[in-house]
Amino acid sequence: MADEVLFEFFHMEIVGQFLQSARKDEKESAFTKLEFLGYRVGQRLVERFTKEVPRFKDELDTMKFICKDLWTSCYKKQIDNLRTNHQGVYVLQDNKFRLLTQISEGKQYMEYAPQFLAFPCGLIRGALSNLGIASNVTAEVSAMPACKFQIQIQRL
Amino acid sequence: MSRQTVRSGDPRKVSAELFTLTYGALVSQLVKDYENVDEVNKQLDKLGYNMGIRLIEDFLARSNVGRCHDLRETADVIAKVGFKMFLGIVPTVSNWSPSGDEFSLLLDNNPLTDFVELPEGQSNLEYSSILCGVLRGALEMVQMEVNVWFVQDQLKGDNTTEIRVKFIRRLEDAVPVGED
Amino acid sequence: MAVCVAVISKENFPLFIKTIPTENELKFFYTVHTSLDVVEEKISNVGKNVNDMRELYLGLLYPTEDYKVYGYVTNTKVKFVIVVESSNTNLRDNEIRGMFRRLHNAYVDMMCNPFYTPGENISSKPFERIVDSMLVQD
Repeated sequence: MADEVLFEFFHMEIVGQFLQSARKDEKESAFTKLEFLGYRVGQRLVERFTKEVPRFKDELDTMKFICKDLWTSCYKKQIDNLRTNHQGVYVLQDNKFRLLTQISEGKQYMEYAPQFLAFPCGLIRGALSNLGIASNVTAEVSAMPACKFQIQIQRL
Repeated sequence: MSRQTVRSGDPRKVSAELFTLTYGALVSQLVKDYENVDEVNKQLDKLGYNMGIRLIEDFLARSNVGRCHDLRETADVIAKVGFKMFLGIVPTVSNWSPSGDEFSLLLDNNPLTDFVELPEGQSNLEYSSILCGVLRGALEMVQMEVNVWFVQDQLKGDNTTEIRVKFIRRLEDAVPVGED
Repeated sequence: MAVCVAVISKENFPLFIKTIPTENELKFFYTVHTSLDVVEEKISNVGKNVNDMRELYLGLLYPTEDYKVYGYVTNTKVKFVIVVESSNTNLRDNEIRGMFRRLHNAYVDMMCNPFYTPGENISSKPFERIVDSMLVQD
């Protein structure tokens, strides 16, 4: 059973690695690659995690699962605030996001905060996708280490 | 948590899987990105090295282990404290070389490779290379230069997983040149 | 013991299907295909007995002359279908549930193989071994 701290260190390394190997004008590609990794992990985590959970009632039920169960398992706390416009947009606020606390100490990493949110965005998108919900997920840092994830459900 | 449900495992276990699943996703992605498997092995090793040089501080802070006096002590600490703390397993230390500068860590199971099935034609992939890098980086921070490599891997059908560690030399207390 | 085990993706195409050795595999494929409609019906029955609806195991989907078809849908909308012979009256509900549980566990493990791309056909040997253990052996 791998220790939780391994993920934190590992995540930091891969963000650094992808940023380094991306050309100067291609910071986007680092974000995309990290997001895709998160996507795959989200799909697989949710497959494992929902093995013995009863069927979800509706979209909101699924969102709550993401905000409580999934978030706690991955980031050791629940989402602090969930808002929705009931028209397919959800905003998840985490006031002390675990992956940002590592870098909120030193100012030198601040400009890379968006890249630190790429994987978590993908994780949400992958989790939802495997639960049958297509979405677009973006994130922004409000005030370190707080951040907001915005989920736009794509109705096909 | 208001959801009164039995979950598929306790949350701690799921968060442990976060690391192994992310690692797996990265390996799989690197295999797609690089044609040359050796390059993938190198990348994983480098990643491990960079992790190792940070992980050692966390390890020393949490484990309260004192200074090791010789390689045998170091080997024991790696197996019984290090591996236990980070991977929840305790490999067996064995196969010491006659000169006492080389030993093996035998792993019955490797949490990194749970559920992994190597695709055909990937026999040159050292899936768990990150472990070699971590050991190398961590030991460098305590002034030991070592070489670490896989001798056997259950993932490839071997009976056991064997990591070999060879002590090269003691490092001066000067700041080591970081690997980029 | 089953005569056919199938795994169907959320988009309703087959990811894996294995039958006992038979000349008429097509018959089983057709049976599985037909059962999907019943599956859809069962999981979209909102409002009727809310508790039942939340179980992953769907129970008997429908009987044919020679076979009984059972279904199970995961939260990730993957469907498992198990076909057993009608003449096999020894098989209890508990055992069928047990088979689905084993199948589900095997599927989840297989999904977590980083070299498996979700949505691909399943070619995992360990997974196939689990399925083999459920099929009627001659």
